[in-house]
Amino acid sequence: MRLEFCWFCSSKIYPGHGIQFVRNDAKIFRFCRSKCHKNFKMKRNPRKVKWTKAYRRLHGKDMTKDSTFELERKRNRPERYDRNVMENTLKAIKKIDKIRHDRAADHIAQRWKPKAAKERREARKELEQSISLIKAPLAIQSQEPAITVPKIKVKAPKQQTVEDQLMEE
Amino acid sequence: MAQYDFKKITVVPTGNDLIDIVLSRTQRQTPTVIHKGNAISRVRQFYMRKVKFTETNFTDKLSKTIEDFPRVEDIHPFYGDLLHVLYNKDHYKLALGQLNTARNLIKRIREDYVKLLKYGDSLYRCKSLKRAALGRMCTVTKRIGPSLAYLEHVRQHMARLPSINTGAPTILICGCPNVGKSSFLNKITRADVEVQPYAFTTKSLFVGHTDYKYLRYQVIDTPGLLDRPLEDRNIIEMCSVTALVNLHAAILFFLDLSGSCGYSISQQAALFHSIKMMFRNNPVLIVCNKTDLQTLEGLSGEDLKLVMEMKSAALKTIPVSTITDEGVMAVKNAACQRLLDQRSERKMKSKKMPTVLNRFHVAMPKPRDQKERPVCIPQAVLEARAEEAAHEERKTEKDIENENGGAGVYSASLRKHYILADDDWKLDILPEFLDGHNVYDFIDPDILQRVEELEREESAVEEDGGDFEIEDEDFTAEAEKDLQEIRKRKKLLIQKHRIKKSTAESRPTVPRKFDKDRKFTTERMGRQLSSLGIDPSRAIERARSRSVSRKKLRLRSRSMSRSRSVLSQRPLGEVVPGEGFKDSAQKMKAVTMARNATKKRNKDARRGEADRVIPTLRPKHLFSGKRSIGKTDRR
Repeated sequence: MRLEFCWFCSSKIYPGHGIQFVRNDAKIFRFCRSKCHKNFKMKRNPRKVKWTKAYRRLHGKDMTKDSTFELERKRNRPERYDRNVMENTLKAIKKIDKIRHDRAADHIAQRWKPKAAKERREARKELEQSISLIKAPLAIQSQEPAITVPKIKVKAPKQQTVEDQLMEE
Repeated sequence: MAQYDFKKITVVPTGNDLIDIVLSRTQRQTPTVIHKGNAISRVRQFYMRKVKFTETNFTDKLSKTIEDFPRVEDIHPFYGDLLHVLYNKDHYKLALGQLNTARNLIKRIREDYVKLLKYGDSLYRCKSLKRAALGRMCTVTKRIGPSLAYLEHVRQHMARLPSINTGAPTILICGCPNVGKSSFLNKITRADVEVQPYAFTTKSLFVGHTDYKYLRYQVIDTPGLLDRPLEDRNIIEMCSVTALVNLHAAILFFLDLSGSCGYSISQQAALFHSIKMMFRNNPVLIVCNKTDLQTLEGLSGEDLKLVMEMKSAALKTIPVSTITDEGVMAVKNAACQRLLDQRSERKMKSKKMPTVLNRFHVAMPKPRDQKERPVCIPQAVLEARAEEAAHEERKTEKDIENENGGAGVYSASLRKHYILADDDWKLDILPEFLDGHNVYDFIDPDILQRVEELEREESAVEEDGGDFEIEDEDFTAEAEKDLQEIRKRKKLLIQKHRIKKSTAESRPTVPRKFDKDRKFTTERMGRQLSSLGIDPSRAIERARSRSVSRKKLRLRSRSMSRSRSVLSQRPLGEVVPGEGFKDSAQKMKAVTMARNATKKRNKDARRGEADRVIPTLRPKHLFSGKRSIGKTDRR
């Protein structure tokens, strides 16, 4: 028994799930569910389909290069069983998993960081510019004489006097 | 010596069927259209063709039948006699002869009518001639109807006759009814003949096959015989008599010692002696059946004497019990052996034998001296053999399997023979997955080392404190609150604008100065200004001083002699010089007309004369649907 990866979305395929397709050139395509299978049949490129791991890795959304990946390799030659090695392996898997998980989370957090700074800058600007919606410039001036609020010139419509109205007639 | 295959005879149609077949064939396979305008030669040809075609068909079918049926003289006498017994040779020959005559008659008819047709002068005459010809042929066929039916009957029965190879070595079983012939046949061969307690269960010949010394023997079971003269025998008995007489076979005469068949030993002995003639050169074995009921030794003196008499005429006597299988094989072997010997004898006596014998010569080498030369086996081989013999006692996996419940129940433990560093590990359970990973992908003797390295890396990174980013000062609580207010205000503005936009078309745009909803009051302004943080009192004062009503008052107080304000109220019907009405009545009429027009427009919710907006161009309820009665070509 082996856990395979879906060719399309790169999710794990547990035993008893999914479909395997063998092409005439003997290449095996494994799919975790009919969604991936149908996308494949439509000849969609997983590198262009947003929700797949292939896309995410390609566009740098998920972690690609890491030393934890090297520890997990598909070995073609079977090793002679050694209980101690097996014990160590089982313990190690847990640790490696945790480290990998943490690192992936870090990667994503790194991605999000610039956005926070940007947001802060924009908020600051907004505060400066639109303060007049809630506080009149005069009020600000009176409260904090240090701040000079830019004067906004508004053109007032000319008031039509009675004389003008009569003139129109 | 061929095996006759009566199954290959074609089906014989009845008289009417034959007529139907041939006539419909003629109709389909010959041209059907002819006109009296055609040339006479063509007409003649047309009808001649039909007559000839019909005749050929009849003769073909009749010839086929005549040829398919076997001639009684030409086949093996056994079959000839059998046919005679079953179907009466004479009747059979007569039927076939009738078919032959019919065939000739039809031929004759065709010749006559073709000759006549050659000189037919009109279409009608030719047609009548053809009709007559066909009619006569059909009558002939109708007359042989009963013969055809009889032949069909015979054919069906013949197809079911047992296929007896007259040349193969045969064993014939005969005797009184109910002595155990059919049960014996069932024992030796794979035949499944009915065995019942009443006499004449077997009504015809049955064939089975058995093997002996790589040769196939036919075993024929016959119906029981009764002791009566030949003329009185019925068909069933005649079958067995035919077989007895004509076939060269080893004859097993069955004798019932106990008399449970219903016939005493004396009766059976009488039968034997009367049939004796038919045996001729065939080897005869007397089979004393039902020894489980009555043994040969236990017979009374008279019976024993009779049996002895029979024995003298026969080769051997073998006691048998078909129920307990005692002696069955002995009988078979004896009979087969006897037949085999006969065959060999005959072969030896034949003319060909010397030529065959001359071809080979068995050479026996003469001994050179008197020295003994025994077999020589090297010592190593002997030792190996001895070892092997000793080894034979080890317990195999198969034995273990059988002990523990057999193939489906026990599955061998393949782990027993694993070669591991420590034998305790042989029975370990090996997990294949852990937390969604394949365990085999991680197996590495120094994996712990590498994991330690990894962990060291991680901790090093953590100590660094991650990335050092330039932290902007966060907003104060006040600033946060302000920001939220601003955002709320903006959202409200957007919302209001959206509402205004969406209702713009259906809402009249009343300029602000008319203030229909009375929204723009000084109180409101005051509230808004104070929320912005400004003292509103001065603004309110100013607004109030400049309001229109005040203005009006001021103006009025200033100069009354000036021209009247536009906004002063006049009575409705009063004629104003610039308007263009000639008198008050006309103006009133105009006013009323305007009012009436606006009334209709108001009812239509139109803003004015120019408002031609149709909110829904094609309302569904006017443009679709069926009418319960009437048509929908106009809507």
